[in-house]
Amino acid sequence: MTSTNRNLRQEINEKLMDETLRGSLNRFAEAYPIARAKAYENVDDLDALRNSVRDMKIDTVERLEEIANQFEEQVTLRGGKVFRAKDGDALKQYLFDLCKQKGVKRIAKSKSMATEEIHLNHFLEEEGLHVKETDLGEWIISIAGHKPSHMVMPAIHLDRNQVAKYFSQELNKDIEPDIAYMVQEARTALREEFLLADMGITGANFGIAENGATGLVTNEGNARLVATLPPIQVVIIGYEKLIPTIKDAVPILRTLPRNATGQLMTSYMSMISGAAPALVKKDGQWVEQEKELHVILFDNGRLKAAKDDKLKQIYQCVRCASCLNVCPVYTLVGGHVYGHIYAGGIGAILTALLNSMDDFKQINEMCIGCRRCTEICPGKIDIPGLIEYLRAKSVKEDGLPFGVKAVFENVLANRKVFHSLLRLASIGQKPFTTGRVIRHLPLFFAGLAENRSLPAVADTPFRDRVKKVTKQVNKPKKRIAFFSGCNIDFIFPETGESVYKVLQDLNMEVVFPEDQSCCGKPVLGMGDHETAKKIAKQNIIAFEEARADYIMFACPTCAETWHVTYVELFKDDPEWSKRIEKLAHNVREFTSFVAGEYEKSGRLVKSQGGQKVTYHDSCHMKRGLNVHTEPRKLLESAPGYDFVEMKDCDKCCGMAGAFGVKYTELSMPILKKKVDNIRDSGAEVIAVACPACMMQIQGGLDKQAPNIKIKHVAEIIAEQIKE
Amino acid sequence: MKKVSNNWKQSFPANSFGTQFFEEFSTRAQNVAAKVYRVKTGAEAQSVIVDIIKSSEAKKVVATSEVISPSAGLHNTLKGMNVELYTEQGDIRTHADTSDVGIACVEFGIAETGSVCEDSFSIEQRLVTTLPPISIVVMHSGNVVPDIATAFEVISKVFNRGYISFITGPSRTSDIERVLTIGVHGPSQFVVIAIDEDTREV
Repeated sequence: MTSTNRNLRQEINEKLMDETLRGSLNRFAEAYPIARAKAYENVDDLDALRNSVRDMKIDTVERLEEIANQFEEQVTLRGGKVFRAKDGDALKQYLFDLCKQKGVKRIAKSKSMATEEIHLNHFLEEEGLHVKETDLGEWIISIAGHKPSHMVMPAIHLDRNQVAKYFSQELNKDIEPDIAYMVQEARTALREEFLLADMGITGANFGIAENGATGLVTNEGNARLVATLPPIQVVIIGYEKLIPTIKDAVPILRTLPRNATGQLMTSYMSMISGAAPALVKKDGQWVEQEKELHVILFDNGRLKAAKDDKLKQIYQCVRCASCLNVCPVYTLVGGHVYGHIYAGGIGAILTALLNSMDDFKQINEMCIGCRRCTEICPGKIDIPGLIEYLRAKSVKEDGLPFGVKAVFENVLANRKVFHSLLRLASIGQKPFTTGRVIRHLPLFFAGLAENRSLPAVADTPFRDRVKKVTKQVNKPKKRIAFFSGCNIDFIFPETGESVYKVLQDLNMEVVFPEDQSCCGKPVLGMGDHETAKKIAKQNIIAFEEARADYIMFACPTCAETWHVTYVELFKDDPEWSKRIEKLAHNVREFTSFVAGEYEKSGRLVKSQGGQKVTYHDSCHMKRGLNVHTEPRKLLESAPGYDFVEMKDCDKCCGMAGAFGVKYTELSMPILKKKVDNIRDSGAEVIAVACPACMMQIQGGLDKQAPNIKIKHVAEIIAEQIKE
Repeated sequence: MKKVSNNWKQSFPANSFGTQFFEEFSTRAQNVAAKVYRVKTGAEAQSVIVDIIKSSEAKKVVATSEVISPSAGLHNTLKGMNVELYTEQGDIRTHADTSDVGIACVEFGIAETGSVCEDSFSIEQRLVTTLPPISIVVMHSGNVVPDIATAFEVISKVFNRGYISFITGPSRTSDIERVLTIGVHGPSQFVVIAIDEDTREV
């Protein structure tokens, strides 16, 4: 099922206009982090717990075949039948044959995402079977004819009035939009489904190889009924849910409910090993007999993923869906724009693996790479990293659109052309700029600057100012080569000047390798690894020639690209690998470097009074480089400033590389929240340590809160140094 | 009645179970809307049950034979109150769906989460704890383990085949507007009676 004719932009806009959806997602996004934190209060070492989920799952996928064989053997030993379904068609055929053979007419189901994946209900109904979803949310969307919009809360996009309307239609009576009453109506209506079903179908949260048990984690109690009353039980379980031993369920059970819904444990957790007893009526008497148990191990792309070095990380997923709950994009638009069954970042990955690359291509840009998901994922899956990996894979296979490729190869990969164009832009934009920002853009660009001004390209780039700010340092402590990145070079040259001032004040010799160019992140982000390698090589050569002790970055994205991505890019190239590793070792991020030096010399003394300043953690800085205390220490010790924290200080500002420009409609609401939080903190100055965030937030402030100033931390420290 | 194990207690790790964990267990269970009573004897447990039946005006009760034996006297008390009580397998299947109260035993409590661990291998056990709107479970107040890891230490010793459940408060949903609503497909009231005297019967 591909959906190549989608108009994603239109779908996004519809969701942005859906007040019900926006309201409910907004409230949820506010409440979720608090509920989750509270649920983990009695867990001593959360990081160790997450490591145990990850390690156990990694160990399992390494020996998946052995585990799957053991699981099958143990289920069979206990009276169950195991069927390994290669894909949806195989699964449907097996199930349909089983129903025919056993005379099954009524089926009660409890939630299973794997069956959503292949539209199982639809198939069975077309074959004339009576199939009912019994999870309340699933039931609601099934009577509404919708797809789930969240893995744990499938009907989160509907409000009580909409639900009442669907209930009234389904039950043929007037249903008041009272939640408790509607829940009771659903209880009554569905009770008969449990009692009369010939077959119960459940999913599974885990499958234990040691004794063939499957585990179910639910709140409503429907899965218990589905697995208790009907004489035939079918469990549909994806390979990724297998675990080796009974005890391996512990880290899953300690994280899944806490992360999914902020519960210490769901109302029910059941583990069923082997065919359980059921009661069937014979000659008017209830007679106990063993259930017929069928366990379907579902592949549908999972086994292939298990063999891919990167993609096997999806086996670390426990399906808590918490990655959606913190995703700035998901919490704006909900799950339906992701098109297929699984939403959010993990959904994009699962869609690529279990559905099609075509569907993935349409939605992969909905991940802005902020890594809030990775930060809370119980299995520590690098979701944005996997999305980038899949993007690169698809670019390798199908190439980039012609125009993009041409720009990358002819402009970005050629420093001279790229920089000449930027210089030209500084002249071309003249009629539209006021000071540092572009307030009004001509014609079709106008939409981009509606709630945000775009930055102006500086009259004189940093590279042309270097000579003026370079000082002779006698007996320098270290020699430092500065990598400015495009933003500092062409948009915020003043930040570069501040970096020089601070480092020279620390008695460092600072040099600027002229041949440096863009770090290549925009190209990498689009998945074009070949062009990225060309750019990286130019930079590597330029910095080797500089013979510096350290390479300094005042942009966390550039720093991370050098430190991590360059190393990965050349891992199969022994010569370049050696060269970049040597340089990567010397990469330093400005604020953490300076804070370290200041600490040594006793300059980190807390000061109070003065202008209120707050700090925005850029995603690449906090979650990429793990730098967040150091810039705060610098701000706290800057005389003339009074540091205050703001709400959601580490939430993405909505820039996220090209995303902020390409998906303006999504970027703007994210930015607006950021500006609101800055304003609410009472700060007069917002400090950032990333020029890309600076560009975005500056634009938002210019339109929405013009009296708040934005400064790079480097500028604030530089102000403290007397000439 | 089929059981995953007939002697769970044998598998409890020597130093990490006991009444010292009961208070935490009780607090956490109540945090998720369970009612918890701690009593000294089986007889006291019986009077708690009778009170619940009276105040809820229950007319029909199903219970596993493990928790209610004819000799303990609850049969007669309920008969005197005009309350029907069913404890046989076939009767439980016929009446569980229309009963107001279900009474059964559980094996132990877990302090970390306020859950109880139920040996639910037998079909009557499951019918009793899933279908009626009021679910009463009886346990020994010394059978509490501190956390899920310890619970699974116990389980992994006995769980070869069968059915094991954790029950944590009543059935709940937040599927409509994320409003927490108690009692969907399972019980809307979940009552734990913990008896100090080591008995399974009330």
